Amino acid sequence: MEYVYSILILVGIYIVLASSFNLIIGTAGLVSIAHPIFFALGAYTAGVLAIHLHLDPFSATAAGAAVAGAFSLMISLPSLRVSGDYLLITSIGFQLGLLQVIKNLELTGSQGGLNNIPTPVAGPERGWIFSAIALAAAAAAVLLIRRIVRGSYGRAIRAMRDDELAFVALGRNAKHIKIVIFAVGCALAGVAGAIYAFYFQYVSPEQFEILASGTMLTMVVVGGMGSTWGPVVGAVLLLALPQAITFLRLPLAYMAPLQGMIFTLLVILFLFLRPQGLVAPEPPAPLSPPAR
Amino acid sequence: MLDPAVLVQIFWTGLATSSYMVLFTIAFALVLKVLKLWNFAQAGMMAIAFYAMYAAVNQFHWPTAAAVAFGLAMTLAATLAFEVLGLRTLRARRSSSLLFFIFTLVCSEFTAYTLTLIFGTEPAPLFPEILSPTRMVAGIAVSNWDLLAVGLTAALCAALALYLRTTRDGQFMLAVSDSAELAALYGINARRTYAVTFAIASVFVCAGMYLYGSRTATIPTAPLQLMLFAVIATLLGGMGSVLGGALAAVFLSLLQSYSVLVIPSQWQGLILYVFLFVTILFFPTGMHPMTLLRRALR
Amino acid sequence: MSAALRLSGVCKRFGGIVVADEIELELERGQILGLIGPNGAGKTSLFNIVSGVVAADAGDIRIGGESVAGRTVHERARMGIVRTWQNMRLFHSMTVLENMVLAPREYAGESLVRLWFRPATVARADADACERALAILGRMGLAHLAGHGVVDLPYGQQKLIGLARALMNDGPCLLLDEPMAGVEGQAYETMKAVVREEAAAGRAVCVVEHNISFIKDLCTSAVFMSAGRILERGAIAELLASKTLAELYFGA
Repeated sequence: MEYVYSILILVGIYIVLASSFNLIIGTAGLVSIAHPIFFALGAYTAGVLAIHLHLDPFSATAAGAAVAGAFSLMISLPSLRVSGDYLLITSIGFQLGLLQVIKNLELTGSQGGLNNIPTPVAGPERGWIFSAIALAAAAAAVLLIRRIVRGSYGRAIRAMRDDELAFVALGRNAKHIKIVIFAVGCALAGVAGAIYAFYFQYVSPEQFEILASGTMLTMVVVGGMGSTWGPVVGAVLLLALPQAITFLRLPLAYMAPLQGMIFTLLVILFLFLRPQGLVAPEPPAPLSPPAR
Repeated sequence: MLDPAVLVQIFWTGLATSSYMVLFTIAFALVLKVLKLWNFAQAGMMAIAFYAMYAAVNQFHWPTAAAVAFGLAMTLAATLAFEVLGLRTLRARRSSSLLFFIFTLVCSEFTAYTLTLIFGTEPAPLFPEILSPTRMVAGIAVSNWDLLAVGLTAALCAALALYLRTTRDGQFMLAVSDSAELAALYGINARRTYAVTFAIASVFVCAGMYLYGSRTATIPTAPLQLMLFAVIATLLGGMGSVLGGALAAVFLSLLQSYSVLVIPSQWQGLILYVFLFVTILFFPTGMHPMTLLRRALR
Repeated sequence: MSAALRLSGVCKRFGGIVVADEIELELERGQILGLIGPNGAGKTSLFNIVSGVVAADAGDIRIGGESVAGRTVHERARMGIVRTWQNMRLFHSMTVLENMVLAPREYAGESLVRLWFRPATVARADADACERALAILGRMGLAHLAGHGVVDLPYGQQKLIGLARALMNDGPCLLLDEPMAGVEGQAYETMKAVVREEAAAGRAVCVVEHNISFIKDLCTSAVFMSAGRILERGAIAELLASKTLAELYFGA
């Protein structure tokens, strides 16, 4: 039963990660590869605060989100000053550089990772309580993003993607929008990280390598970039697939790369055969003239 | 007190080590210049080059020359397939830069996973023996590998410079890099030029991986890190300047080598990223001393 | 009262090409100034410089007496300068109404904080913008197109929508970049009428145009540019009668 719960929790976490990544690359069109590192920032911040300051999980999670959001500014502010392309390079450098720092810092447990993160809930209820939390977080994230993407703000984002120059020449602050969306997306990844840290109680640097971005890209591209439910489908798919491969009973040394191969191959196939993904973005309801 | 002999030794060894970085950077910068593409699939190219040569040497037991030729052939085949089947389709669809980015990165990741499946994660050098015979020259240790590295890199750079300046295809590459539409008006076939660019990049990648692999035990995910160095050097040298990128690669390598004197080795890797940040913040179009040096050398 | 738009000593070069050479220009409220000259004279570049898309090398630009130095493109639009584009640049995935609602100087829905904590304010601002948009469209006889996607509309109507969108910005300066190009018939007359109305209501309008009859009909005065320099300025009739200008414009 514990196994089922851990799957549900992972589903919840992955949905938050996929939806927030989709917000950044699918909706806002920002090319960034650094999502795993914000997941890591949330996890490590929450873990370190829980271990050293005995902070309660809610504050620790909020801190994780805040730290992730704040660090996102370190990437977006300098690179968006120049041009959209730079965000990509900066995000790669940031991802790898920060990972180096984490691997070498005593505070974060160095290469061995952060162990013995105190769990707020112990005992037999642990499984379903955390499942509820994770799935609630997933629902909240999806709805929050939906709210951003529809309505006035979403309209501004769409116009920005249609023609950024005309958008800016009308008085709209495109840079500000990009920075905010990026921060929101990264903060959500931080929340996912905190939940992960509190349930699994162990965080290690290997989980956040740049290849982890391949997992997230798969969820978004295969699920459907720019759509609300696409990332949800992508996240569920990504968790179902490894379970399917487990049945092949291959040795672990083959399982991990095989999994990676299947995921990346899926992305490539979808990129060429069905670029809109499994769930195409639903066109938003156009603004209707006010009733007279 | 710093011993001048140590400083010179670090310089020489650092210069030799910069050789493969220079080659990777030139490959990356050239593709960026001509195709306006950030070719994150280069890591995949590098991995294929290494493991093809590795298999030829250690599994088929071929002589070195044949192994290198095999490595080059495999890299060329994979790269051209990538360009013809992949990039051309995306270009025809006028795909966004996001899709190009995802495609190139995922190709590298797919390659890394596939090679991990085939070769495992045990670090392995190209040849069983990675130590190269060394002799002392004026108090500095100079190994055969050092000489090969510096010589091969210099030769390839000279060849490329000559190629770009004197041959028709080379001139076409420069024209297309300036403006593909304008070049098309003059009858220059952009597709062919792109293919030629990738072929040259393959050669540089193969040479670089030969040098790197004959000295370091490699794993399938190593090329991603190496490629990042090339990306930073390309940025530093000014996008659109292959020479700038090469100079930046040498500079960064020497910086990393000398940094050993001042910071603990575990933090050495971080220097690169600090530099990346400094570049993006203050020199987004490339570092000015590089621009000056480039102009001076023209 | 200070001029709606004043340029002094504005200079810009791109490599070896001088795009603006010591440009002096003043635009008053209620004035419709024609900016004419051969292709490549630097007319659109001047618009780009004023709106901030391109940074001038030197010179002073003031909107209503206030300098725009150091202000970004979007800040200048909020100061009250708005322009149209030769290729319209409408937001192709959206309807006419949505295009226009995004165009006023202030857009409430641009702030996420406001969206979440003051949703009523945002909704009201949107409704107000809708009303204004419909009023402007009504003046052009296009109110019935409000819910249409812009991409399917005929060319002439798209150009009118581009103008309508610009008019949502209630600032003093309106820069029109070849609004008449490819437009004829009813759309032409509508555009002329609307521009006249705007000037009468106190806007300062500058129009880049090749269509001489439009310039003659509408503009009170004009400025002739060639190779980045203003060669002549004054009443339309004089400029159009000048032989030297005719040579420059049409070639010998």
